[in-house]
Amino acid sequence: MARVIATRLLRLVATLLAVTFLTFSMLELLPGDPVDTLLPPDANRTEELVAQIRAELNLDDPFFVRYFSWLGDFVRGDLGKSYITGQTVADTIADRLPITLQLAMMSIGMALLIAVPLGILGAYKQGKWPDTVTSAGVQVALSVPNFIFGIFLIWLMAVQLQWLPATGWNRLTDQGLVANLKTSVLPASALALSQLAVFSRLVRSDMIATLQENYVLTARSKGLPDKYILFRHALRPSSLSLMTIVGINFGALLGGTVIIETMFAVPGLGFRLINAINSRDILVIQGITVFIATAYVVINTVVDLLYSALDPRIRRS
Amino acid sequence: MHRRGVKRALAIPLLLSMVVAACGGDDDGDTASDDTSVEATTGDATDDTGDGGDDGGDDGGDVTTPATVEDTDTSIVREEGERTYGGDVIFGLEAEAVGMRPWEDACGEPCLNIQLSMMEQLMRERADGSYGPWLATDITSNDDFTVWTMTLRDGVTFHNGEPFNAQTIVDMYPVQQSGTSGAAAINAAKLASLEATGDMEITYTLSTPNSAFPASLAGVLGRVFEPKAAAADPDGFTMNPIGTGPFVMDKRDIDNETVVVRNENYWMSDPDGNQLPYLDSITFRPIPDEGTRLDSLLSGTVNMMHSLRQGTIRDARGADGIQLYEFQGNNTGGGMYNTAVPPFDDVRVRRGLNLMNNQEAVIDALGGTGISLPATQWFSPDSPYWTQEAADAWPTFDFEAGVESIQAYIDDPARSDGKAPGELIDVELSCPPDPTLIAAMQVIEQVWTGSGLVNVTLTQFDQATHISNAVNDAHRAHCWRWSSNQDPSLAIDPVVAPPEESVSNFPNFFNEESFQLAQQALQTDDVEERTELYKEIMLNFAEDSIFWYSGYTATMVAVDPSIQGINGWLLPDGTLGNGFPNAFVTFTEVWIEQ
Repeated sequence: MARVIATRLLRLVATLLAVTFLTFSMLELLPGDPVDTLLPPDANRTEELVAQIRAELNLDDPFFVRYFSWLGDFVRGDLGKSYITGQTVADTIADRLPITLQLAMMSIGMALLIAVPLGILGAYKQGKWPDTVTSAGVQVALSVPNFIFGIFLIWLMAVQLQWLPATGWNRLTDQGLVANLKTSVLPASALALSQLAVFSRLVRSDMIATLQENYVLTARSKGLPDKYILFRHALRPSSLSLMTIVGINFGALLGGTVIIETMFAVPGLGFRLINAINSRDILVIQGITVFIATAYVVINTVVDLLYSALDPRIRRS
Repeated sequence: MHRRGVKRALAIPLLLSMVVAACGGDDDGDTASDDTSVEATTGDATDDTGDGGDDGGDDGGDVTTPATVEDTDTSIVREEGERTYGGDVIFGLEAEAVGMRPWEDACGEPCLNIQLSMMEQLMRERADGSYGPWLATDITSNDDFTVWTMTLRDGVTFHNGEPFNAQTIVDMYPVQQSGTSGAAAINAAKLASLEATGDMEITYTLSTPNSAFPASLAGVLGRVFEPKAAAADPDGFTMNPIGTGPFVMDKRDIDNETVVVRNENYWMSDPDGNQLPYLDSITFRPIPDEGTRLDSLLSGTVNMMHSLRQGTIRDARGADGIQLYEFQGNNTGGGMYNTAVPPFDDVRVRRGLNLMNNQEAVIDALGGTGISLPATQWFSPDSPYWTQEAADAWPTFDFEAGVESIQAYIDDPARSDGKAPGELIDVELSCPPDPTLIAAMQVIEQVWTGSGLVNVTLTQFDQATHISNAVNDAHRAHCWRWSSNQDPSLAIDPVVAPPEESVSNFPNFFNEESFQLAQQALQTDDVEERTELYKEIMLNFAEDSIFWYSGYTATMVAVDPSIQGINGWLLPDGTLGNGFPNAFVTFTEVWIEQ
């Protein structure tokens, strides 16, 4: 196991180096002087200001010297400061991360809550009408982009029924759980739909395979109740690939909520990222991108390790 | 079918497809996902716009400007009704205002709504286009408009208790000089120095005559911030700006909400002697998506919103239960040619392309039919500077004449682009990647290409790169917006100045006569005389064809009908203010009807 962990960690470090290198190169790859990129187009471009920015970013040093200096700062949590808001990038991320994390967790939770029973039902009733209905519903859910479902949810729940606010975000720490749920349930639902479809299909197909296993047939022949067999014997072995995909989706959601956060005006990482892109706030773009990429890689590594821990066959291989 | 209708249309197939799929087990998953072009709707323009009620009578009267688009009332009138205290406004903005430092940060309409609820200007624009004192009480100049003496209002304090006086303006000056926006404003106003010539008196000395200097004091240069707080913590000022305005910062949660609450020590009263403001608080929420912003208003999530998009105005016109305040400003859509680059250095090409610009079709592609007027100059018909002569001079769509003009260039053996006679001209047309702009760009491309004389290449860059390309002369035919609702000199002077002296002369074109006319306009404060001078510049613009136009930019503020006082607020001298230009709201006299 120690070897597995060591190999995974080595891969993690290599991937992170590549990610940080590419992200840092972003400023270099853009045409022109990086100072032009950092300064707003209508800025009063005085020599003093240019010199100040060059000094702050060590722009007169060779590329690799700057990269390793930046990497050192990054490891210490210093990602620079926004030239527009005056906030440090680290503070910006710390402020937004809980919101995006909450959305990601809620949407995955909601998706799992519905997808697992649906998947089990589909597998248990394979080929019969409940399976046909759930499969068709899943197909629809897979086909509808989440922002279209978001528009539908706003139209139904906010404009027509006026049960929930259309946009905005009540912070859990400021306004409490109920107020927070009122603003989080619609965007989380919009994000949950496509995940629900994927999870449900995965559980169904894995469960069908598991139900063909000899030990399940033995359990059946012993007269054990179906419910017991499904939940005690079949569900756990059928959840391994689900766990992998949940991990991958969770990492992807950290950077993949841009459209939904923008649509619902949720002040998460994605919303900040898109605003930074619009205002060309390069250091914020760099900081958030490298953070999301790092989080994605780390989460996937953790999932890999958990996967190995749960399934001795993988560990041994 | 307006937006809500479209959404119903969107929802019904979705529900139906779910039912059909459930019943039939169809694996095709045919859904409504194709129907995403919800903005591409058409609707009848109704007269469901907010004229804000009738004349208020004795509170400054009203100024009724001519309606610019059929069925749209853009009048500025004093609203009737009993003013009541209390209530909270939640305002859905199109974007977050990331910078609150007037000396440093560029501040567009969303930002102005927040910033100017807390900070005030020395001067404000009146409904008739003139400028009146706000934090000033009087301003006079010498004969040649190079020295201006301003008296400040007594008894005003900042939110942190600091007094407002002449020393404030003196202390603000170095901060302004050090900042991007402040330095640009000082430069544009031609301000050379200032000094306190009394406790409440400031004398400004300009480097050249500028009769429009009071207009500069209604902009960035006259935006009053607490200089000690700004100097002590410039970055912190973005999170906690301190001004003298009717509202005080209560909470700043960037990208989520900015809450300002009533300034209990505000200096201004209404004509009946009631202390202003009336509202308890305003919450500003950035909601960038146009559709969900309107849905937020219709669902009661917010009770006020603004939009600078014609498509949203069209959808809002079709919605029930909201009141609209529409504005047709001077801001003119279209583009420019970089005349430093062939073939745009030849007026035959520029004029030919302009003659082949079907403005009505472009406005339609932008979703502005019935909302936006075709532009002919840098002033909308609401502006005192608009003239019929300039409107008549602008080349309207005449395809054959356009072909003839470009053909003359193409057949010229000495054509400037170095190609052989008879070869097509190359035009790179660039716009930011906004869906409506892309549609408009495609309309222009089709017509230009249809002449058989023009090779059109379309390019798109993000907004910042698009601007940067213009600044760095990396542009050809370039989408752009012109003019503003401030004094004409502020928009026109940088464009007619010699290109080597003005980075904002993006077309790189110099017409000595236009430059001199602009200089003359700074040496008189007679509106009629200035109108005549700016008319001549507009005639030159039409002749030189360095720009092409689409339509004027329509803007809208939409509110819950209980919210009043957006239209027809007063300056301290009792004159009528300029309403809600470009969807910027003055909250001083806004109240919620009980």
